[in-house]
Amino acid sequence: MSRSIQYTSSPLLASRTPVWRSKFVVAMIALGFTGLGARAAYIQIINNDFFQRQGVVRFARTIELPANRGRVLDRNGLILASSVPAASIWAIPEDVDMTPAQSQQLAKLLDMRVGDLDKKLADEDKTFVWVKRQVDSETAKAISALELKGIHQSADYLRQYPEGESAAHIVGFTNVEDKGQEGVELFFNQALTGKSGLRHVIKDGRGRVVEDVGAVVPPLPGEDVQLSIDSKIQFFAYQKLKEAVVNNRAHAGSVVVLDANTGELLAMANYPSYNPQKRTNLSGEQLRNRALTDTFEPGSVMKPFTIGIGLESGRIKPETVIDTAPGSISITGVTIRDAHPHGALSVEQIIQVSSNVGTTKIAMQLQPSEMWTTFAAAGFGERPHIEFKGAVSGRLRPYKTWRPIEQATASYGYGLSASLFQMVRSYTVFSHDGQIIPATLMKTDNPALGAPVFSADTAAKIRKMLHMAAGPGGTGPKAQTIGYSVGGKSGTAYKQIGKGYGSEGNRKYRSWFVGMAPIDKPRIIVGVMLDEPTGGQYFGGQVAAPVFSELVQHSLRIMGVQPDISVRPQIVSIAEDESF
Amino acid sequence: MTRINALLLLAVVATAIYLVRVQYESRRLFSELDKAHSQARHLAMDVERLEVEKRAQASPGRVERLAREKLEMRQPNPGITTYMSYPADKAGPTAKADTP
Repeated sequence: MSRSIQYTSSPLLASRTPVWRSKFVVAMIALGFTGLGARAAYIQIINNDFFQRQGVVRFARTIELPANRGRVLDRNGLILASSVPAASIWAIPEDVDMTPAQSQQLAKLLDMRVGDLDKKLADEDKTFVWVKRQVDSETAKAISALELKGIHQSADYLRQYPEGESAAHIVGFTNVEDKGQEGVELFFNQALTGKSGLRHVIKDGRGRVVEDVGAVVPPLPGEDVQLSIDSKIQFFAYQKLKEAVVNNRAHAGSVVVLDANTGELLAMANYPSYNPQKRTNLSGEQLRNRALTDTFEPGSVMKPFTIGIGLESGRIKPETVIDTAPGSISITGVTIRDAHPHGALSVEQIIQVSSNVGTTKIAMQLQPSEMWTTFAAAGFGERPHIEFKGAVSGRLRPYKTWRPIEQATASYGYGLSASLFQMVRSYTVFSHDGQIIPATLMKTDNPALGAPVFSADTAAKIRKMLHMAAGPGGTGPKAQTIGYSVGGKSGTAYKQIGKGYGSEGNRKYRSWFVGMAPIDKPRIIVGVMLDEPTGGQYFGGQVAAPVFSELVQHSLRIMGVQPDISVRPQIVSIAEDESF
Repeated sequence: MTRINALLLLAVVATAIYLVRVQYESRRLFSELDKAHSQARHLAMDVERLEVEKRAQASPGRVERLAREKLEMRQPNPGITTYMSYPADKAGPTAKADTP
């Protein structure tokens, strides 16, 4: 009796239960709770790391915050290159199940051939295939509207170049990975590329971000790069160059426009060019920035330097008369000729009519070391310091190896080589009071600091000669332009064909013109080069000088420079015949 | 005593439910904020895209072509330009011209 418990007073239910049973139940419950407690301790304390990790794996995500690539701007802040959102289309071939009509639609939207598209999606073993990268956002929207199974999109950036082919060689382009490949895009790749940020978040079951974990690392957008290029001048330069190349049936051409005060590059164009946005089937011919990468013998453009050395050392004066008759001179057995025999010429006239004989006679009074030093100081034979990868140095051999004939030919620009850009820059010596200034592709407001090559007086004298050369009786009168005084030097050279320069009737030419305006206080220096003009005319003064003239006119107007020579007002209205 | 306990229990349950609600609300708002942020980013990118498009439409090449072909305009030259000059010391369009 004492070992049992009675639960009720009703005698009908008076069945006796042993005490151990209730104790057993209590013990079981206690054991259950202990188990739970132990499990809780295991999860919360002992094996906590594992469970924390599992939680993180399921809900925590790290999101990369993409940084925008910086923009490339021109000197007025106009965009030359900028990244815009785009989509890249990819597919899981196994999941793709398109009807022929659908694949035709997709191919049309993507501007692909149906065959190519089908080929991409044919390999069902692959789990990921890029269909097309960097599709513009409108096309992307149209594609997502098709709701095709197995075709996916991911966000991407597309680089846009509003100026297109006219500035292609300067701005360059990026590849699909948004890395600079050419031009400014390559040179300033590091500055333009931003640093992407990071964000740790918790996502809920539906993939929505519900909480930030820890600190957010904000993305560092790429810096904008502002160039010295003026896109209006750039476009015009390209346009005129293109016309000249086409009209003269030339192989190629380049122009360079340099600010004579600051050394800023206002325009640099080459033809043939390419559209940086459609880069299929590109050839090296199109890609090359010829103005910086192609060198040739500068020819007559060098004469002012030779004359300058003579003037500077006091050996000659502008009025000194030199006899160039009979239009040829023999140096150690090699004959140097003028295009036309001229007789007695003053030093000024030697530049004006571009006499090789006259220049040679002056050069024979000079030391090779003097010439070399001046040419080197003017930037020949040295890689120009410009924000562009691939600029070449040209060739200027050490004077110790010069033979007399080489000294003679160097005086009128043969036996050494330079790029058009180097030639244009070397002319800052004459435009900037005898000082050569560094050229730059970056916008700057400060006047450049120059290194003296000649005295200001010599530079002024040479400017006068250049003005004469571009005037009546000179070699480049077609360089003249309405309202602005110009000065410059034309050049024409035979191109090498095989080992020689070709034979009469089978010659290839290169023609150029380098000059400045307004001549008394130059604001710009312009260089124009045409490669292999085959349209009948080939003298620099005939094919390159007209481009120079138009460029000077247009550039100075855009820069707001007032004409320095009086202009006869023109009546321009073209009246229609009155109808009766 | 029992009544106080019951009251406290009720209070605990109520605050617990409230906590859950607040947590839920905060997550909802956060996700909305996040959505708004990403929308802002999209809009900013659209602005950039449109700006580039505007720039492409206003590129010197296109403007020149339209002016020449549609409006039959041509390049000015100094022969048909009158240059105005302001007195050097008070430059600007408001500078008063000296009348002789």
